[in-house]
Amino acid sequence: MALILDSIGGHSLRLASLLWESLAAKIAKIGEVILLLLRILRRTPWFFTNPSLTLEQFIRIGVASLPLVMVISFFIGAVSAVQAEYQFRGFVPSNYLGTAVCKLVIIESGPVLTALVLAGRVGSAIAAQIGTMKEKEELDAMTVLDLDPLRYLALPRLLSGIIAFPLLVIISDFLSIIGGWIITTLVLNVTTATYIFGLRFLFQPYDVLISMIKAMVFGGIVVLMGYYHGLSAGPGAKGVGQASMKSVVSSCMLILIVDFLIVYIAY
Amino acid sequence: MNGDHLIELKHLQKSFGPQKVLRDVNLEIRRGETMVIIGTSGGGKSVILKHCIGLLQPDGGEVVVDGKVISSKGHIDVKTIRKRMGMLFQGAALFDSMNVGENIKFAVREHEKQHSEADLDRIVAETLHMINLNPDFRFKMPSELSGGMKKRLGLARAIALKPEILLYDEPTTGLDPITSDVINDLIIDMQAKLGATNIVVTHDMVSAYKIADRIAMLLDGRIIFVGTPEETRATSNPYVQQFILGQRKLGAETE
Repeated sequence: MALILDSIGGHSLRLASLLWESLAAKIAKIGEVILLLLRILRRTPWFFTNPSLTLEQFIRIGVASLPLVMVISFFIGAVSAVQAEYQFRGFVPSNYLGTAVCKLVIIESGPVLTALVLAGRVGSAIAAQIGTMKEKEELDAMTVLDLDPLRYLALPRLLSGIIAFPLLVIISDFLSIIGGWIITTLVLNVTTATYIFGLRFLFQPYDVLISMIKAMVFGGIVVLMGYYHGLSAGPGAKGVGQASMKSVVSSCMLILIVDFLIVYIAY
Repeated sequence: MNGDHLIELKHLQKSFGPQKVLRDVNLEIRRGETMVIIGTSGGGKSVILKHCIGLLQPDGGEVVVDGKVISSKGHIDVKTIRKRMGMLFQGAALFDSMNVGENIKFAVREHEKQHSEADLDRIVAETLHMINLNPDFRFKMPSELSGGMKKRLGLARAIALKPEILLYDEPTTGLDPITSDVINDLIIDMQAKLGATNIVVTHDMVSAYKIADRIAMLLDGRIIFVGTPEETRATSNPYVQQFILGQRKLGAETE
């Protein structure tokens, strides 16, 4: 009996030790990410020396993502309208279809789904690029040439993410509402006037403000996770692939957690 | 410090996890000389170079460049010393997203703001000329270049800021013997034209004999031999003999 208890005690201690090590490693990583963010933000004044670098990244992160955002946003609006009509059927008048689409899109699906999709497109691309540059010693080459990678690579990407995401979310909201309008008028037999009435009913500019704040924070998260995981990439194609994957997974998790926190605080 | 020594490595130690790469490296590099560090692959030669330019910090010991300790951040800003250095990386480490001209211009444009675009174009042409390449190459992307070309352009980028100290990490590795010889000639040429102090890491003995003023051998994390090429050939040190003769076993007979 004593032996069994000893064995259970030993296993428990080992398990506790493993859990503690894992937790400590996670806390250390959070610390690294925060430190990286602060180091990048400290270089913000350099934006004015090389604005073209940020513009170039804005085009890559923002403008190049437009087609993807436009397509998904249209269908998000369309799906929201169809689902709302189905859930409302027999209980809520169709006057409020526009309200449902507008509220859902502006408060949640616009910023969150756009950010999740861009985490896949933008975050993974940044992680892969930085990971490959690290592997090929390009980051070391920049340091040796006294070209600070945080200033020339990280800062333009972070600023572009923070600026481009809210703009993309505005476009996304607009296209989702258009998608909802087309479906409600063509398929669900609701007039344009009724849909617009629904849109305007309960519309609050405060929702748009919170949506923009969310988008800016999500933009920062996606870029920061991409850059951090690129820097931490292991060797070879496997290392770069894993860095990309980790950047997407961690971005998605953080986006949903931070979304909850913002909503909890704001409403 | 001895005024003749531009770079001094004193009791340098470095570990990566449980692996002790540098145990106790002591080496002095004289102003204007070409010091070639030889040793087995994975032995820590590149790690020494990265310490010399401040890319790595030692676990113990010191790196002194021109009388200033650069291995301790408290003593001097490593950036000040780094501006006097250039480095050719093993894989050239060209910036893939930029063409050849931009690769050369990038650092010059950022550090020497007085240059106009026309000046920068002239610097690119002059630098390409120094490494015996046609100025038309400036429009090519790194992906369009062969291994030897990439190394030459890596060197072009390193010398564009006219460094006093040039570090070469395996400059001839992966190249055919003829292209290797072109790189060797370029290294000798750079020393003559720029008067730079060179540190070259290699395991190519043909290259080492051709370009070195002195050769140092790294073994088990320590410098076990330093001498001129003639002294290296004539040494009775069994480990150096094993390396330069390419023998698998210590003291094996050559056929």
